[in-house]
Amino acid sequence: MAMAAVRREGRRLAPLISPQSITAVRPSVISQEQAPLGLRSISTQIVRNRMKSVKNIQKITKAMKMVAASKLRAIQVRAENSRGLWQPFTALLGDTPSVDVKKNVIVTISSDKGLCGGINSTSVKISKALKKLTAGPDKETKYVVLGEKAKAQLIRDSKKDIELSITELQKNPLNYTQVSVLADDILKNVEYDALRIVFNKFQSVVSFLPTVATVLSPEAVEKEAESGGKLGELDSYEIEGGETKSEVLQNLGEFQFSCVLFNAVLENACSEQGARMSAMDSSSRNAGDMLDRLTLTYNRTRQASITTELIEIISGASALEG
Amino acid sequence: MASNAAAPFWRSAGMTYITYSNICANLVRNCLKEPYKTEALTREKVHFSVSKWTEGKPEKPTIRSDTPED
Repeated sequence: MAMAAVRREGRRLAPLISPQSITAVRPSVISQEQAPLGLRSISTQIVRNRMKSVKNIQKITKAMKMVAASKLRAIQVRAENSRGLWQPFTALLGDTPSVDVKKNVIVTISSDKGLCGGINSTSVKISKALKKLTAGPDKETKYVVLGEKAKAQLIRDSKKDIELSITELQKNPLNYTQVSVLADDILKNVEYDALRIVFNKFQSVVSFLPTVATVLSPEAVEKEAESGGKLGELDSYEIEGGETKSEVLQNLGEFQFSCVLFNAVLENACSEQGARMSAMDSSSRNAGDMLDRLTLTYNRTRQASITTELIEIISGASALEG
Repeated sequence: MASNAAAPFWRSAGMTYITYSNICANLVRNCLKEPYKTEALTREKVHFSVSKWTEGKPEKPTIRSDTPED
């Protein structure tokens, strides 16, 4: 009877080893279960070892959550401040995500490290959808990939469309100079009519919105200006710092790309830390649940073996007497 | 104030506006006094590794970095 209960317990443990928790310990408990009836059930040693490892994992994930929380606090302030960099550009040049151009370049921003939940997958999913959306006869779309995780996912089916891949971005704390050098590299190496930057915008600690920011090349801006709207009013401004309008547009376009990229990288870093916090939190909670179930199993096994021993002793003693 | 050249000197030298503004920013940062100067210069560190892809194959990555590799 105790055996049956323990076997049921073991089967219930299996769904707990879900992809959320990062336990890599094999379910040795369950394989031991298939012992024929009559033998002593699982040894308590195995359960105890498992409990120790699950407890360690719980401690580690809790520590990772704390680290992510502190990093988040530091970077959140900078991300919110950097939003002010591109807002004037949107006010001046408008945001045209639905622009129809020949050469699209999709800049996908992701993290280098893992264990951060699903944000990298959502970025890649949006990039792929955007590629399908902007595909068409004599239009081409290329990728520029920032971060290891998106690179690994995009390699699988879009190897031919990757132009540049950039890694090791977060070795030093993020700063504008680094991102602007990166933007400069991208501008020099890639021909584009429109750049679409895909990143996770940081709304709050638990919500990250995948967003696409569009930056047009100066020629595309000229074309859009003719169709009116915000860009058409550009002529009514008096602009210093350049002789011709196209020169001014070129400078503005480059600077806009750099600012938008900076904000996007910061927001993505924030989202990464937030997602890591919640992933580690759910992981430690799962580990705690697992620990509770293992404790129950352990006690049940222990009591069952004690009862069996007592029965043997008593029956042995009564056999001697009788 | 700017000369009436067809393009500013930095544009004809091959720099983009981004490079130009970065150099100007660097000049301004160098005008600070210690200890603010070292603080500001730590905000300028660059490090990343970029690799160009051709025909679905990455080439050897080039590391652009201020810090020397050890």
